[in-house]
Amino acid sequence: MSDDIKIVGLLCNWCCYGGADTAGTARMQYPPNIRIIRVMCSGRINPSMIFKAFEDGADGVFVGGCHIGDCHYDAGNYKWSRRTKIVQDIIEEFGIEKERFRFEWISASEGEKFQKTMNEFQKTLSKLGPLELK
Amino acid sequence: MSYILAKSKDNAILEAGECGGAVTSIFKYLLDAGIVDGVLALHPEEDIYDGVPTFVTDSEDLISTAGSYHCAPTMVGDIITKYFSDKKIAVAVKPCDIRSIEELIKRHKIQRENIYTIGLNCGGTVSPMTGRKMIELFYDINPDDVVSEEIDKGQFIVELADGSEKGVKIHDLEKQGYGRRDNCQRCDVKIPRKANIACGNWGAEDGWTFIEINDEKGQELIDGAKSAGVLETKNPSKQSVEARSKVENIMIKMSKKVQESKFDDAEDMDAWKRCIGCYACRDICPICWCHENCELNKSYFKDELNIPPEPISFQGVRLSHMSFSCVDCGQCDDVCPMDIPISLIFDKLQKKYYNRTGYIAGVSDDIKPPLYSPDKIEL
Repeated sequence: MSDDIKIVGLLCNWCCYGGADTAGTARMQYPPNIRIIRVMCSGRINPSMIFKAFEDGADGVFVGGCHIGDCHYDAGNYKWSRRTKIVQDIIEEFGIEKERFRFEWISASEGEKFQKTMNEFQKTLSKLGPLELK
Repeated sequence: MSYILAKSKDNAILEAGECGGAVTSIFKYLLDAGIVDGVLALHPEEDIYDGVPTFVTDSEDLISTAGSYHCAPTMVGDIITKYFSDKKIAVAVKPCDIRSIEELIKRHKIQRENIYTIGLNCGGTVSPMTGRKMIELFYDINPDDVVSEEIDKGQFIVELADGSEKGVKIHDLEKQGYGRRDNCQRCDVKIPRKANIACGNWGAEDGWTFIEINDEKGQELIDGAKSAGVLETKNPSKQSVEARSKVENIMIKMSKKVQESKFDDAEDMDAWKRCIGCYACRDICPICWCHENCELNKSYFKDELNIPPEPISFQGVRLSHMSFSCVDCGQCDDVCPMDIPISLIFDKLQKKYYNRTGYIAGVSDDIKPPLYSPDKIEL
């Protein structure tokens, strides 16, 4: 059942959260599976937060930040982009498909991109089915 | 960087030390000249399987630390951080020791100017229990009768009190599941080139120690020891230098082969099910230093009811904190009460990180731990 897919979304306050807001106010339809958690910057997100989400039952984790070069705090999204590689490497080792973890740069005006990303991500996850940790 | 052959001028040290006793002599010089407060080296307590890191402050006691102890795998990085960060010390280091020291220097836990590092070439270590068992099984010798052991020309050689020796090929031992520790079989850093000097018997003439001088501090050490009259030196022949690099290359080649075969097992590892959440692997890790503030102790990760802990939120968190700096010392394997081969996955991720960034933990020196850097670069 695709409705049961749980997505945890960690969105940066200045860009992607605004993008989700734009999508909402423009009444763009996207799957309701995502539970949004607002963070001040994608640079605030630790790999351990992603792991905690998976442990507690998320089937997919999405992270949205500002476009590279547009970070409200100058370099936060560079830090995050380096961490993503580590996250990908680690989840593979523990039997979590790397498609279950996705990150995207979405600005506050890109409501459409947010909608498109959510549709794609939901589709990927429905294909994979619910996450079963070993 | 230059090469020399060295030999102790002290007969007692020559007798007790391995191949020339240069390491012990250099320690003696450092202590006698008052350059360091003490020397951190291995001292066999009960027998040769029981090497205890000892802080020696009197050069008379140094003789008890002379010799090589392959059956006593220890790690000095965290010992220095915990107990000797404010002292001037000299320390004998295997490649994994110096790599951990380098990583700790980057984390401001050890001051480089306070420490003299005398590197020892290392072909690998044997866990004491495995060592005892294999000496019984393959050598037909009571392990307690062994007075010294060495690794030479691909053989693990034990010596008895009457001077007789017996060697078995390490390759044969390892095929049967004995021999060197798993992480040592994988390790591809055999000469500690980050230490001030790197000593060993590879390529050396009988009774001499082959020394590679790695930096200015190392050169000062050798010059000082020479002028203090404890060390005699000569230049190595071309054949010596070639023989040494040949030994090193063969060892590295062997390690790479092991890596290829072992890393495949890591993905379907179900050993995590045995985990009892004792945190021993975290506590022993030389790179993990912020124990009192560890994320695993936070209420949102601490889950005493859930044993075994979910690997992703236990080892996964540790991996994300320090796997890129893993020096593959194997201490976590050694302390695990459930014999989980933890270092395998940490080492595998370090290698993955190396493939992305070219960063080898404790060997590359140009960059800080890359995740913490404020630089505007993507990987």
